[in-house]
Amino acid sequence: MKASYKWLKEFTDFLLSPKELAHALTMAGFEVEGMEDIEGDTLLDINVTPNRPDCLCIKGIAREISAILEVPFKAITIDVRKQEGRGPEIEIKDSPLCKRYASRTISGVKPAPSPAWLIKRLESHGFRASYNIVDVTNYVLLEMGQPLHAFDLDKLAGQKIVVKTAGSEKTFRTLDDEDRKLGKDMLLIWDAKKPVALAGVMGGQNTEVSLSTVNVLIESAYFHPASIRRTSKTLNITSESSYRFERGVDIDNVAKALDRAAQMIAEIAGGRVSNLTDIYPEPYELKKIIVRTEKINSLLGIEIKESSIQKILNSLGFETKREGEGFIVTPPSFRPDIQRDMDIIEELARLYGYDKIPATLPCIKVQPAPVNKRQDLIRTTKNAMIRSGFSEVINYSFFKPDTLDKLNLPPDDKRRNLVFIKNPLRKEESAMRTSLIPALLNNVSLNLNHGEKDISFFEVSRVFLPSDLKLPDEIIQMAAISNNNKSAMLWESKHDGFYDLKGALENLFRDLKIKQYYLIQDTSSIEPYLHPGKSCSIIVNGEKIGSLGTIHPHVSESFDIKGSITILEIYDLEKLLEHVSSGTTFVSLPKFPYVERDVAIIVSNEVLVEQVNREILSVDSDLIEAVTLFDIYTGKPIPQDKKSLAFSIRYRAADRTLTDAEVDSLHSNIVERLKNTLNAELRG
Amino acid sequence: MLNDIQTIKNLAGEEIEKADSLKSIQELKIKYLGKKGILTGKLKSLGSTPQEDRREYGRILNEAKICIEDLLSKHEAAFKTLELNKTLQTQRIDVTVPGYFIPAGHLHPTTQVLDEIISIFTSLGFNVEEGPEVELDFYNFEALNMPKDHPARDMQDTFYITEDIVLRTHTSSVQVRIMEKNAPPLRVIAPGKVYRCDADVTHIPMFHQLEGFMVDRDIKMSDLKGVLEVFIHTVFGPDTKLRFRPSFFPFTEPSAEIDISCVICKGAGCNVCKNTGWLEILGAGMINPRIFEMAGYDPDQYTGFAFGMGIERVTMLKYGIDDIRLFYENDIRFLGQF
Repeated sequence: MKASYKWLKEFTDFLLSPKELAHALTMAGFEVEGMEDIEGDTLLDINVTPNRPDCLCIKGIAREISAILEVPFKAITIDVRKQEGRGPEIEIKDSPLCKRYASRTISGVKPAPSPAWLIKRLESHGFRASYNIVDVTNYVLLEMGQPLHAFDLDKLAGQKIVVKTAGSEKTFRTLDDEDRKLGKDMLLIWDAKKPVALAGVMGGQNTEVSLSTVNVLIESAYFHPASIRRTSKTLNITSESSYRFERGVDIDNVAKALDRAAQMIAEIAGGRVSNLTDIYPEPYELKKIIVRTEKINSLLGIEIKESSIQKILNSLGFETKREGEGFIVTPPSFRPDIQRDMDIIEELARLYGYDKIPATLPCIKVQPAPVNKRQDLIRTTKNAMIRSGFSEVINYSFFKPDTLDKLNLPPDDKRRNLVFIKNPLRKEESAMRTSLIPALLNNVSLNLNHGEKDISFFEVSRVFLPSDLKLPDEIIQMAAISNNNKSAMLWESKHDGFYDLKGALENLFRDLKIKQYYLIQDTSSIEPYLHPGKSCSIIVNGEKIGSLGTIHPHVSESFDIKGSITILEIYDLEKLLEHVSSGTTFVSLPKFPYVERDVAIIVSNEVLVEQVNREILSVDSDLIEAVTLFDIYTGKPIPQDKKSLAFSIRYRAADRTLTDAEVDSLHSNIVERLKNTLNAELRG
Repeated sequence: MLNDIQTIKNLAGEEIEKADSLKSIQELKIKYLGKKGILTGKLKSLGSTPQEDRREYGRILNEAKICIEDLLSKHEAAFKTLELNKTLQTQRIDVTVPGYFIPAGHLHPTTQVLDEIISIFTSLGFNVEEGPEVELDFYNFEALNMPKDHPARDMQDTFYITEDIVLRTHTSSVQVRIMEKNAPPLRVIAPGKVYRCDADVTHIPMFHQLEGFMVDRDIKMSDLKGVLEVFIHTVFGPDTKLRFRPSFFPFTEPSAEIDISCVICKGAGCNVCKNTGWLEILGAGMINPRIFEMAGYDPDQYTGFAFGMGIERVTMLKYGIDDIRLFYENDIRFLGQF
């Protein structure tokens, strides 16, 4: 709401400069968001919160200023001289939607541009000037907060005004030349035959005031706020009128504002004013609210005197009567927001000054804080990932549904069941995401385009899957991605990027205390966006909980990424909580030394390291303490379909020092076994 | 005989003092104490010494030997140190070569600030709770005193899934969910993502908030001030000033907007604070009794406060980030700074 400093001064005497006034208003709950100097005046841009429709006008803000600064408020005198005749009959058919409807007619008006001072005031407050008659209605709206509408009286059929809903009426042309589609519950103003206005929202083109208008009818009414808001939202029209009606105008001000407008029109545009027609079947009943002094003080944590309470409330126009240990308070009709004692306490706090409320710490009973396993899980996961060299990214929760095509997902994949947003910001980002992978691929692509070389990202976020319940399932996933580049390091690593992600997974599972897990290279269960040879499923306790592998070259290409990209994906992080191993058990330190022997074998390419491990351990699981792979070699002189694997084997007995003879015999048993079961050759 | 020993001792002493290298010390060791050394010779001849002198003679000879040995080892050590120092000098490395490590990743700045804020409130006895991001209109609006046709809904641009389901516009939606399931007293913070149908230079459609609330029998507005003061002073330093301004939220009453003295210019006035010296950082208030009624608490028995803040806003002020759009572009040049 824009308000002229000079105009405000017409209603109240204060000595503050515009800047000081802005500060005083801001500290009383009316934040001044901007100030603009215009020809000897200053416009204040005041943020009026939705609970204070009474301050959507100059008079209301001035009234507030007089309460804040404790200076008198000057009411303007309204005096409609010479009233003659009577305007059309008014009938309210849907009375719950219109609690008061008043009108006066002015006959013999001369539509013309308004005087310069009026145009200036309207334009500086954001209104476009029109004919004097319309300008006056807008001026009174600005000044007194009551929306008014001027009809061309001669275009109203049958000298009648009817207030009722649209019913079967389908369309209506508003004065901005748009045909509006009506809903049957929208409140309209009718004449004897046709609708003439969208009540409280916008007038009709059929009865608009024009240069040839001679007689006008001015409407001043109180419409039901929710009904006006529904109409305005449905038709997507927000007008100065609807904005005020939907917040609630002062029902007691309806006739006063009408009088003010009639008087001004007669002065500026000429004409004769009719007597008032005012349909107000149930006059507004003022509320009486009991508020206890003790409650005020205990809720705010202050000690305010009863005399101060009374003074503050009276300055706001609230009547007070002492009763028992407090007051009976009667708020004025322009404060429909004041409904109960808490509303009054807020008013007191506001004018008492929030800065005078002390800062204390609450007295509370100590309660044991429940462990939040979910939060702990997320934190542990994030820390494990950054330790492995991955940086955290956060992406928007919505995505383009067609990115799922880029991932090669088959039509029946459950990630294709989407939760759609009805009003997305960008049409294409219309669904809640069901996978973290597309955004991560986009992140890699963006950073590669910036010339970055080493990219390792992870994200822990929710995905959204439709469910049988009202709300979708929100599942916390973790996904990591890397372009497997290590250019920043002094050393060069030649291993496949798969193993970096596998290392990250091992780190993560160690921190999460998940000990039993397997990687299975089963082509039938591998994600369609992964390289079939360089990927696997992660199995924990027989359940597939994630995937690990290199992105399929087609998929990388569709995300404009050159080079190999590896990902790790955990489908439901919380599920891991079910698989956490129970606490650590201490094992006594060994009392006898170990003996270490190496063995290098040549085996067929198909033989897995895990198989070799198993064979070695099967020879004597008591005396073989550890088997560690330390080299993989392919190339000359090893035949093409074979590879060389070198293991270091550590032997130890719990109860004695092993003799050379014992170790030799064990070691040769191992070599024999590898030869027999895996067709291994000993490498010289 | 005794003179002889004294002479040997003196001579050895002189020669050791004069020695100028480890090598000459080692030669002197052989000369005096070696198998055919001078002193060794004297010791060997001890057998042919008359019985009555042998004891005294032996004692003196031994003393001389220890004396020479000490002297030799002292000089030997000195020369060894000298030589080691010389060697160490030749082993200089280039300390300016980059260090060797597997670079750790970076936590997103939003996570870092959120973690810090969470730890402040958990230290004050608040529990962390969460709620759904796709939320019923009921919990996001209606239960917070914003019925369907309430103009306060204009304060937030809402993404709709259906008529009754929205992307939550604030973490306040967690309040009634928690109250429905738990009896007071309550001390809860609820961090998480929220969504607004809004994107321009200063708005992004998804951001993070942290909601906090405390409900008990005797919670005052002054307690709200105290708790938020602890929080602000921990995050922005004890010299940061707080300013509470009246405001309006349908779910609190009285409501307040909390400003802090500008962390950039310390209140002198700058671009960031638009020359006001103050920065808006939190919305808060006493929980509206209507919310207690919605949750089935007796508003005559319980009072409470609630507050909410935008995490990106706090993060921007803490690090001096000037463009909110950087947060979720996920540019490593941005992420790597934190």
